[in-house]
Amino acid sequence: MSNAPESTVSAPPRAEAAHDLRLQGLTKEYATFTAVKALDLVVPQGQFFALLGPSGCGKTTTLRMVAGLETPTSGSIHLGDSDITYEKPYKRPVNTVFQNYALFPHLDIAKNVAFGLERRGVKNTKQQVAEMLELVELTSQAHKKPAQMSGGQQQRVALARALINQPEVLLLDEPLGALDLKLRRGMQLELKRIQTEVGLTFVHVTHDQEEAMTMADTIAVMNGGVIEQMGAPTELYENPRTTFVANFLGQSNLIAGDIEGRDGDQVKVRVQGAVASVPADRAHAESGQGWLGIRPEKVLIAETGHPIDAPGDVITGGFVTDVSFVGVSTQYQVRMPWGQELMVFEQNTGARGMLPVGTKVDVSWRPEFAFLLDASQDAMAGIEGD
Amino acid sequence: MATVDDVATGGPPEHRPRRNLTGYWLILPGALWLLLFFVIPFYSLLAASLFDPDGSVLTGYDVTFHVQNFGNAFWDYKEQIGRSLLYAALATATCLVLGYVLAYAIAFKAGRWKNLMLVLVIAPFFTSFLLRTLSWKLILADDGWVVDVAQAIHLTDALQLVNLADGDRLLATPFAVIAGLTYNFLPFMVLPLYASLEKVDVRLIEAAGDLYASPARGFLKVTLPLSMPGVVAGTLLTFIPATGDYVNDQLLGNTNTRMVGASIQSLFTKENDYATAGALSVILMVIIVAAVMVYVRKAGTEELV
Amino acid sequence: MAGMNRRTVLRGGAGLGFLGVSAAVLPLFGTPDQKQDPSRLKVPDRSESDPRLIISNWPEYIDEDDDGYVSTLTQFEKDTGITVRYTADVNDNDEFFSKVRNQLGSGTSTKRDLFALTDWMAARMIQVGWIQKLDASKVPNLHANIIDSLAKPAWDPGRDYSAPWQSGLTGIAYNKAKVDEVRSFSDLVTRPDLKGRVSLLTEMRDTMGFMLLIDGADPEKFTDDEWKQAVERLTKAKKAGQFRSFTGNDYVQDLASGNVLACEAWSGDIANAGDENLVWVPPEEGIMIWADNMMVPNLATHQANAEQWINYYYEPEVAAKLADYNSYICPVKGAQEAMEKVNPDNVENELIFPTEKTLSLTHRFMALDEAKARTYEKDYTDVQRA
Repeated sequence: MSNAPESTVSAPPRAEAAHDLRLQGLTKEYATFTAVKALDLVVPQGQFFALLGPSGCGKTTTLRMVAGLETPTSGSIHLGDSDITYEKPYKRPVNTVFQNYALFPHLDIAKNVAFGLERRGVKNTKQQVAEMLELVELTSQAHKKPAQMSGGQQQRVALARALINQPEVLLLDEPLGALDLKLRRGMQLELKRIQTEVGLTFVHVTHDQEEAMTMADTIAVMNGGVIEQMGAPTELYENPRTTFVANFLGQSNLIAGDIEGRDGDQVKVRVQGAVASVPADRAHAESGQGWLGIRPEKVLIAETGHPIDAPGDVITGGFVTDVSFVGVSTQYQVRMPWGQELMVFEQNTGARGMLPVGTKVDVSWRPEFAFLLDASQDAMAGIEGD
Repeated sequence: MATVDDVATGGPPEHRPRRNLTGYWLILPGALWLLLFFVIPFYSLLAASLFDPDGSVLTGYDVTFHVQNFGNAFWDYKEQIGRSLLYAALATATCLVLGYVLAYAIAFKAGRWKNLMLVLVIAPFFTSFLLRTLSWKLILADDGWVVDVAQAIHLTDALQLVNLADGDRLLATPFAVIAGLTYNFLPFMVLPLYASLEKVDVRLIEAAGDLYASPARGFLKVTLPLSMPGVVAGTLLTFIPATGDYVNDQLLGNTNTRMVGASIQSLFTKENDYATAGALSVILMVIIVAAVMVYVRKAGTEELV
Repeated sequence: MAGMNRRTVLRGGAGLGFLGVSAAVLPLFGTPDQKQDPSRLKVPDRSESDPRLIISNWPEYIDEDDDGYVSTLTQFEKDTGITVRYTADVNDNDEFFSKVRNQLGSGTSTKRDLFALTDWMAARMIQVGWIQKLDASKVPNLHANIIDSLAKPAWDPGRDYSAPWQSGLTGIAYNKAKVDEVRSFSDLVTRPDLKGRVSLLTEMRDTMGFMLLIDGADPEKFTDDEWKQAVERLTKAKKAGQFRSFTGNDYVQDLASGNVLACEAWSGDIANAGDENLVWVPPEEGIMIWADNMMVPNLATHQANAEQWINYYYEPEVAAKLADYNSYICPVKGAQEAMEKVNPDNVENELIFPTEKTLSLTHRFMALDEAKARTYEKDYTDVQRA
């Protein structure tokens, strides 16, 4: 990997860094494969941090090592100043909201929520349980059994059960994975609200990039046991460093080109005869072959011969091969002269009607939206199978 | 035959009687079986318990509703009844401890050996109950090395202290009877426990650990309560037959370890005292049913939805 | 409330219904008088057309073919062409009684042609008419050769219904490799070094006979007080844990294996065991004597074959061979002379041919009517239970 993970994160200034979660060189090897490879990561206190990646990327293993449910092969886990790498799970100030919630079926909701406090010998838990149930809006359900509740309610119980312990770090393992889409959207906002309210560090594992972007302050994109890129959602989206990130987070058009070199704060790339430029801070390759990347919604389209609004780098000679109308936008597939199909998303502003299939078109984009990636990477990396 | 609509709406009304009848036909074989092998023997037993105690096999018995049979049988055999309940309870408790550990190991630790271990648990059933119990006679024989070892480690002394053995031997002691019961009924404990434990989601145990429960607390608060259906089923499947068992005490016990099952057997088949035998059987049945009802209510599986 | 009441009423009704049905049905389970009239329970004899014979006897009670030795049974089959199905399924008189009483009591076939039971049980069966009269003309050897002491029992003075198979002595046996000589029955029930390692027989007449003898009472004529004293003595020893078990015919194995050191035993069993450590001794108090009697049950289909069998075993040579094998008292006159040829060593064997002196030490148990027998049996059961 040419892109070393970055461990500095743009985070709001903090009063103290005493309770940051720090992973250093964290590695987990199994008999046949390495799940996590020398992971370095700092999660600042109070952040909503998302570990995003496809299944099998090592995100859940990382989470389980933090929770103490897996023992690392090497490396260390620190919470503030204390080394918790080999601490027993039940002694860590860390709680988990499990995938499928893992609520205790034999206990009612109130007892589920009180479980952690009682294990730590807290005598009168009633008040705290009541408060916590209020926070997750389940006060009236206190004496139901988990099996009598809906998925969304169970999810909130799981959250309350973990939060009541006021852990230094709350781990969420695909907590919304079992919910239907609509409920998931609602819960995303709910989770974010609660995190803001309680101000704890949340580490959220998910394979849903939209979920990660909606909720997280910082996202670390994991692939093959390493972090590909870490940063704020906008930063990752706008300026991906790898083809994997470019494809996994949203969609990208990657066009092969020859890098001609740096020209001031621009890097010039020759693309199929035309020359495009990319701002230097968005060029992650300096010479040789490169992938010129541009997000579909940043690509402008016009019938050949018609003017393009706010033109930048223009490529001509394409024609529309597919049109889908999705309400807020229209999505075009445009076949370029060299055979590649580019995706173009156009807002349905009403300025122009749809371009029918077969229309000859020109495409264009503002150079400041383009990004340049090393051509040694697979252009298809991170595109989900289905 | 029926369209989708028919199924959805329960079919046209004229189909109903026929469909209801199907249900009765399905019940019929089971009901006949029960009638033949439960209801009739039960009445026969109840009748025997109400026989005129002055009747004999030769003069015949009349059902005179001689309810004193119950009082007499209970009074005469109260020791055997008490002993049966005690031995069965001890054997059940031992089975529970041994069986739980075993079932737990099979469910959570056995990995790919799981199936093999389960087969081993039921392997004893491949030979006759009687032969296996008889082989215990050889194992525990007074001149055998097992007894020597037991003496060397003062097991026999310890057993004498708690009145489970008599003299420096193992065979023909209460200990041997209880050990035999434990051995014979262990699979009945292990299998339901295993079925229950196997269903326990390991993620719940992880969750307990995550929520500050040490492994021991996690076991007590999560694994154990979740395995209660197995515990209840296992203890019932062990305790009930163990209470009525009439083989172990005859082969492994002595004349002072007689259990009520053997007493009933002897009354029926040797002494031909049907009135007492019947009354004793009914008493035993009532005691077991009552004990089971209290137990199930106390141990409460209703906590588990 | 109304629902509750209705339910209560329904339950009450169901309960009353159950009781009513039970009260009506239960008397049907009574059992009738089981006396039968043997003269009405004869079936046409099939001995000729179906040359078979079905016999039940006690275990290890007949000689077997062995390496050149032709058993009496095989010889019988050869001589007569009758196929004998000989089953050793009599282990205890009461137990066998239970096995056949349903058929005999209700006047159906036991599917047996001949079985051998001890005097008192034989008496009981003959008394209630379950046994067929033997045709004296077909068993001439029986009447000619039966020894005087067995010829006229009170319950079958003319041997019209029964023929002794073997007679025997009940005494004590001990394992001389493991314990000092046991001389008396009193030793058996009191010696501390035997505690918990003694077995007694379930036969009331044998065991209680000895218990009566210990106190100097006569088993053939004792008072209620003497009986009571004997019962009490036995109860005391039983409660003290002196006895390991009360057994039927299955005591030899425990004696041989050393689990039981000394026991009440039948003379022939010990001789048959072929273990030189096992010694049978006549107790100092006296010896109990008994005989097992062959009888033809009602509805036997091969009575003629059975009579042929009885007649055959009353030939002195056959009787000698049998007695040589099982070492019980031979009921046949002339067998002692015949023994010269069979096995000269046994001619003077007291167990087979007891001297007048030995016979003078023997006792029989008092003849009991049905009611008395039940009382005594119950007392003896109570001891075993106590």
